[in-house]
Amino acid sequence: MKTIRNWKLVVSVVMCLGLFGAGSAFPETRGVTKDAIQMGMILVKTGPVAALGLPEGWGIQDTFDEINQTGGVNGRKINLIWEDDQFKTPLSISAFNKLIFRDKVLSITCMGGTPQTIALFDLIDKHHVVNIPNALAEEFYKPHKPYVFVLGASYETQIELMFDYIMNDLKAKDPRIAVVYAETEFGKKGLEAARKRAEQYGIKLVSELVLNIGSVDASSQVLSLKKDNVDYVVTCNLVPPIITFLKTAEKYDYWPTTFGISWSCDDMVVKACKDASKNYIGVNFVGGWEDDTPGMKRVRELAKKNDRDPAKMLTSLYTIGVGTATVLAEGMKRAGQDLTPESYKDGMETLNNFETGGIVPPVTYSSTSHAPTTVARLYRAAPDKGVMAPITDWRSPKEMK
Amino acid sequence: MRIFQTIWGKLWLILFCLALLSLPLWADPYIIYMVNISGIAVIAAIGLNILTGLTGQISLGHAAFVAIGAYTSAILASKLNTPFWLTIPAGGIVAAFFGILLGFPCLRLKGLYLAMATMSFGVVVEYGITHWDSLTMGVRGISVPAPTIFGYTLGDPSKLFYVTIFFVTILTLGAKNLARTRIGRAFVAIRDRDVAAEVIGINLTKYKVMAFAISSFYGGVAGGLYSYSTTYLHPENFTLLLSIEYIAMIIIGGLGSILGSIFGAVFLTAMPDIIKGFADFMGRQFVFLHGRYDEEWNIAAFGLLIMIFLIVEPTGLNGIWTRIKTSFKNWPFTY
Repeated sequence: MKTIRNWKLVVSVVMCLGLFGAGSAFPETRGVTKDAIQMGMILVKTGPVAALGLPEGWGIQDTFDEINQTGGVNGRKINLIWEDDQFKTPLSISAFNKLIFRDKVLSITCMGGTPQTIALFDLIDKHHVVNIPNALAEEFYKPHKPYVFVLGASYETQIELMFDYIMNDLKAKDPRIAVVYAETEFGKKGLEAARKRAEQYGIKLVSELVLNIGSVDASSQVLSLKKDNVDYVVTCNLVPPIITFLKTAEKYDYWPTTFGISWSCDDMVVKACKDASKNYIGVNFVGGWEDDTPGMKRVRELAKKNDRDPAKMLTSLYTIGVGTATVLAEGMKRAGQDLTPESYKDGMETLNNFETGGIVPPVTYSSTSHAPTTVARLYRAAPDKGVMAPITDWRSPKEMK
Repeated sequence: MRIFQTIWGKLWLILFCLALLSLPLWADPYIIYMVNISGIAVIAAIGLNILTGLTGQISLGHAAFVAIGAYTSAILASKLNTPFWLTIPAGGIVAAFFGILLGFPCLRLKGLYLAMATMSFGVVVEYGITHWDSLTMGVRGISVPAPTIFGYTLGDPSKLFYVTIFFVTILTLGAKNLARTRIGRAFVAIRDRDVAAEVIGINLTKYKVMAFAISSFYGGVAGGLYSYSTTYLHPENFTLLLSIEYIAMIIIGGLGSILGSIFGAVFLTAMPDIIKGFADFMGRQFVFLHGRYDEEWNIAAFGLLIMIFLIVEPTGLNGIWTRIKTSFKNWPFTY
């Protein structure tokens, strides 16, 4: 009996692992038929960061739907397949494999996030998957990655713009600046950029404090900053911890000018914090929700048409989604009728100061560089209107040695 | 082959091995990748089942051992160019070392206190890999080069598949045999009643620490394979949630059963696809259900399954499988 049990055990291992075995060989060309284009998207829909992934995904989905309703791209309708990676690398890799080999998509719009995209670099390159990652790490374009196109301003650019604003626009004399950051890849990038820029201006950062994404209270950080008489707080974090920080600061009657990067430059901060956000300034590479530009009008109309309530979502992320899909669709259009992963890449590389009507700054890629723009804009919270209102035009950081 | 004594046993084994080994020739890479991550989950779940199911020592820190193994392999491979056939066992050995370190202070702890201690260990490890930038690259993550053997790259899932299957087979057979040895029986005796076990001559210190060491070795090997499979490690991959997933695997599969670990690991890995497939099928049958599928269902199903199995089927999938087998064996009799 023991013998039977033993061999059955081994057989069971084999059977269980073989359970998935129902696939078939895949063709060499993929994702494009006479009248349709299969597109994939890997973006978090569930879990702690779903609030970020959902509006961006909706923006992409709604844009492709709109394009389909107006005849598609070169006569082909885009069919978007959205896979949820729960912001986990293994799930992102399995979603990638599913999209490429099961659904046979032409391309995948984004890969989930920074760790997921880095883990997929080899596969992206191997299968020629044109994509715009929803992250802004330097590794994405240095060294040059032929199929990765970065959209937006890097964290370095955004932090530099904050310091420039403090020093040149606010004309601060001996400012006492501190950094509050999340212990994440982008948080550390922001911290390093802040250190570098402070050094360039000959300033010593007063303190560097961690405020993690799941934090529900920022008392220790706020009290420490207040004790050090910090006037300007440069943050590198997401919307929820920024809301926590601003509300905690209000509680302790502490009102420094606080700066946030694009992931926290959203109307939601103003709506949640109200007066607590009155000294909050954000940097972003997308247009403001209330901007009177053709691009932002289109974004608002898309949201309205698809029942996306701006009061209940991160509008800046929705705007990024629309911008991403618009750029990807333009690249597809420029690839022409003979749409392949390679011609798609070539089409994207012809974008030269491509205008989205104010959704994102003009987009330029070439065959040697897929680096993002160095242009962004500063917004200030307007608690009476519940929005982040632009306070500068699109600008680049000041050149400094 | 001694444990496959009958001709039928050997024949079936050969047939299944052939079917399995030829999988990369006929299955698409998505399936191969899923088989790989199932295999990795199988190894980790077996390791946890040795500690929790066989020895009765609950652990909420298993993800930490997987992380230690994964980072050991990744660091050895990326910084010292060590070959994968050394880095993966090294991941297991380093994890086992930490398992021993954790095992000693946990000797007197039971139940909730042991759960808290192991969970805290997980938090410490997560903190360590996040902050030891010079070694682990912290939140930037660490890239893992593709494994190679004799100049031949095994980075592709279809090639890594053979490496995974090799380790799954060896470690599954090892665990099955372990359960039948004096060591395995000592583990079970400790689980059933540690005082009684000590009275009959079982050295509690030795065997409890050994259980921690073996369990963490399995976790470490799984971590090593994980690092090659994902090619990029990040501290966020090894949170408490992963430990809970492993606990769920052994509960759903069947506590104390090696076969149960396999069932549980494969079932939970495949569950999202099963639910989605079922939802698609239902959507085709009933129009009002079409397009209703939402990823949140997976999370709800995950929690619901644990509840159902704990209440209705504590022996897990392995218990169901045993009952089905027995029914067929006894048919047409009901006893």
